[in-house]
Amino acid sequence: MSLAHRRPLWQFCPAHCIQLFLHFVGVLVLLDLHTHSIKSDDGRAKVENYCQWIRSKNLPLDGFVLTEHRQFDNESDYSALAEKFDLCILKASEVETEYGHVLVYGVTPALQEAFDFASIALPLAKVIEACNAHGAVAVPCHPGRPRVGMFAHTDELGVPEGVNIVEIYNGGSRDQEDQIAIDNATRLNYQGVGGSDSHIVSHVGRCATRFDDQIESMDDLVAALKAGKFEAVSLKGTV
Amino acid sequence: MAISTIQEVVFGEDLPTFIPDTSLAIASQFAKLVGWGGPRFTDHEGARKEGLPGAMVPGILNQGYLVAMIHHWAPDAEIKAIDTVFRAPVIADEKHTISGVVTDVNEEDGQVEIDLTVSNEKGETRVFGTATVQLPLG
Repeated sequence: MSLAHRRPLWQFCPAHCIQLFLHFVGVLVLLDLHTHSIKSDDGRAKVENYCQWIRSKNLPLDGFVLTEHRQFDNESDYSALAEKFDLCILKASEVETEYGHVLVYGVTPALQEAFDFASIALPLAKVIEACNAHGAVAVPCHPGRPRVGMFAHTDELGVPEGVNIVEIYNGGSRDQEDQIAIDNATRLNYQGVGGSDSHIVSHVGRCATRFDDQIESMDDLVAALKAGKFEAVSLKGTV
Repeated sequence: MAISTIQEVVFGEDLPTFIPDTSLAIASQFAKLVGWGGPRFTDHEGARKEGLPGAMVPGILNQGYLVAMIHHWAPDAEIKAIDTVFRAPVIADEKHTISGVVTDVNEEDGQVEIDLTVSNEKGETRVFGTATVQLPLG
């Protein structure tokens, strides 16, 4: 995948130009790590329309990760769309635990056997243990949100073992949810990622994660997350 | 400019922003008309006692505003479906904005998909959804 978008530079706003320059010199990759398509029960976006939107609006994204609720989409093959739109399209999952929702990157057939992705009450410890055993990464998402966010439960349940990364920028956050996530992540020395949590086409890219290395596959993404070579980015109000 | 036919629609086009009347008076009147009693739609203090941040605008009134917005943009449009996800209450007496944008255009059958977002003054999404709209082929 070429990271050099095939568009004139003057089509971009200054912030995008800086991002694009860094892309041209091969330094940074920007991925939205949290999106939903019509495969999710509350998702209303077709993947092709995400691609069209990113390109027609000149969003500074190099790709996105589909994190469908309570499942892993084994069926869909987005490689043709990825090639057509010159985007990196990866598949992951968003599962539900007693600590709230958790993104899982690096889902394999063996990992799908390790726990029931459809469950709404998975033990987080079991999810983390299985991810570690199968080379995946578990990332609690929107952790500052009431009920479905990890930090809403740590007073009662304690700080869970094995969490290294949480989502600190979420495109659907309200009130002080992102700040709660940032404050707690700082206190607990977690790293942070960003994702739009988009359920409709026009919300993609509101938040994202910037990587130092090129990401072309889920293996690349998992390796970069484990290496800690990334930074959360909020693009709210600019895309 | 109002849209008349599918040929005039462009992918990514924004619909004119719509400011719905979210006053407590309207929310309360609507709720009573449709038979939804109770303070959650009629009284801020009563709604707070129910654990809400304030009285809410009824969901079906919000859906009505979404339809009105689309018809302002394309008066001859037939709305085939409105599909909404209510993420947070639309609080009465707070200013909200409805935005819409075209996210799919099918020139063969004249249908478009529109993303719809109801946001409050802080820019937080309270309601989002999609509409499938039939436009004249021209």
